[in-house]
Amino acid sequence: MHKDLALGSATLALAAGYYLMAAAIPESQLADAIGPQGLPKTYAVLLAGLSLILIVRSLVKRQVASTGSAGSQGSDAQRQALWRVAGMLAIGVVYMSVVSWLGYILSLAGLIFATTYYQGGAVNRRVAVVALSGAVFFWLLFVMLLRIPQPAGLWPSLL
Amino acid sequence: MIGAIANLFTTPIVPAAFAGVAWGILGGALPGLSPSITMALLLPFTYGMDPSVAIVLLASSYVGAEYGGSIPAILIRTPGTNAAAATVIDGYAMKQQGKAGEALGISLYSGFVGGLFGLIVLVLLTEPLSRLALAFTPAAYFALGVLGLSVIATVSGDSLVKGLMAGVLGLMISTVGTDPVTGLNRFTFDSPELLSGIPPILVMMGLFAICELFVQSGQPGWEKAARASARIRFPGPALWRRIALPQMIGSIIGTFEGIMPGGGGTISAFLAYNEARRWSRHKEEFGKGSPEGIAAPEAANNTVACTALVPMMSLGIPSSNSSAVLLGGFLIHGLIPGPMLFVKHPEVVSGLYVGLFVANVAMVIIGYMLMTPCIWLVNRPKPYLMAFIYALVVSGVYSIETSLFHVGVALGFGVIGYSMRYFKVPFLPMILGVVLGFMVESNYRRALVLSGGDHITFVRDPISAGLLGFALVFIIGAMLRHLSETGNWKVKSRK
Repeated sequence: MHKDLALGSATLALAAGYYLMAAAIPESQLADAIGPQGLPKTYAVLLAGLSLILIVRSLVKRQVASTGSAGSQGSDAQRQALWRVAGMLAIGVVYMSVVSWLGYILSLAGLIFATTYYQGGAVNRRVAVVALSGAVFFWLLFVMLLRIPQPAGLWPSLL
Repeated sequence: MIGAIANLFTTPIVPAAFAGVAWGILGGALPGLSPSITMALLLPFTYGMDPSVAIVLLASSYVGAEYGGSIPAILIRTPGTNAAAATVIDGYAMKQQGKAGEALGISLYSGFVGGLFGLIVLVLLTEPLSRLALAFTPAAYFALGVLGLSVIATVSGDSLVKGLMAGVLGLMISTVGTDPVTGLNRFTFDSPELLSGIPPILVMMGLFAICELFVQSGQPGWEKAARASARIRFPGPALWRRIALPQMIGSIIGTFEGIMPGGGGTISAFLAYNEARRWSRHKEEFGKGSPEGIAAPEAANNTVACTALVPMMSLGIPSSNSSAVLLGGFLIHGLIPGPMLFVKHPEVVSGLYVGLFVANVAMVIIGYMLMTPCIWLVNRPKPYLMAFIYALVVSGVYSIETSLFHVGVALGFGVIGYSMRYFKVPFLPMILGVVLGFMVESNYRRALVLSGGDHITFVRDPISAGLLGFALVFIIGAMLRHLSETGNWKVKSRK
């Protein structure tokens, strides 16, 4: 029930923020009876209402079950899982940050290497070769075969 | 029909169907990659293709993935897709009896029968709906969008409130970008990349593909498959006769579950398994390696791969995750599924019919040929597979509009998807909101402009009134069922 309470609170805050942003949309001479703010405001009110239902329901259930044990079962596993997700996300963000400079092949090789290592693979020459081969394979697939450009990086300007 | 056959020769539909099936089988064979994720990974590749070819490629991968899921289900007791979970019961039992090749043959053949049955239903049901096309007004389109959103009532999983919240969040996402009537910018934060809104494909790539990578992260790998079990044996005449009835049962159940919102391959496979056991003369064999226990669920989930396209193509309403991804494929090619699709792009519709037929035939050929590569793939170390899928996702998302901003948005939706899974909030309502939000808002406001602000226009228009009435009945029926099943706002999971 803690989860529902947290979710309801987060979506309630989101609804409030979204409503304020919707209200700040300027009026237009071309506006119809509903206007560009009309449905967004309605959606915000709907989300707020649903969030309140979730919060109230979770509080009621929490009160009923208040005599039960309040153990923190599985919290360690959850924390570990969250760290894993954060790591995967960080690999993606780092890829996005460096691909414009390092170019597609090197950045993607880095992404493959980092993900393999992060998922429990070893750090050795074989992984490095697989990562580089994989990056070249994707470059051949996207850039050469499908003619879809990928970031070239700073290399063309240096040559 | 002539146009459909001509499509075979003027566009590379046949190679696309074969390639899609091959991709689908390989993706479906990997535990953790559902058909929708397999299709989502393919989406960016279709961007530069001819629309007919792209749609055939995606739909064929759906067909292939439904069969591919049965390979690890039979060989390593790990369903490649959720829909293959029912196949594990008797498939793995047959493998333990040394009949893995026979079990794989039954799965492949039953998938072929189910797929053809579903295709016939698809052709028969979607075509008549196209005749309504010219009569649709903005009010009718608004009502159609509302009907689509009413599906949320049945696809909300564990909690109706959370399903509705996800739907509203999807509608909110759809408001990002330029206002459809006044042209004002909304929620764009002065970012030029957001002026045209958040493309549904990014939401799908994030929620399905990237989220699955996050979820799979840190989970243990799966069992290895023996190479010796890679030879498929097709059923002989006696077995062919024995599995005919369960195949028919699976096909009929797959038809209804495919068309019904929230049904999908998983529920149809289990329903078909139960019904096949009920009607079997060999009930005692179920659970111990019954061929009928493989034939029924496999026929059912492959029927769904075609019938799930009926509401998506005719009304623009995706009834499952996989049909939502296919809808994304339509949208990135500027094709709007729904009544006008049959009028404006009949070549895409006929191409899809032909492509699905070829895909079902290709499934038998490719399924036979790809058995060894599938086992090789399943036996790869999981860290390598995860890394290559991640590389494919980031490259694919960038390819959509050669934009790193899009990669960031997709990663963001991956995090949102992970959070939604953590809080047990279903994905499909959000996707429905994202996909249908623009249609609902723009047609609602256009209809009101045309009627001078009179809301009676939605009831006066007979198509609009009918669709809204149908949506109302649908919502009330779903809510009553929820209440009668649980006595509160919770419903049983329909995963």
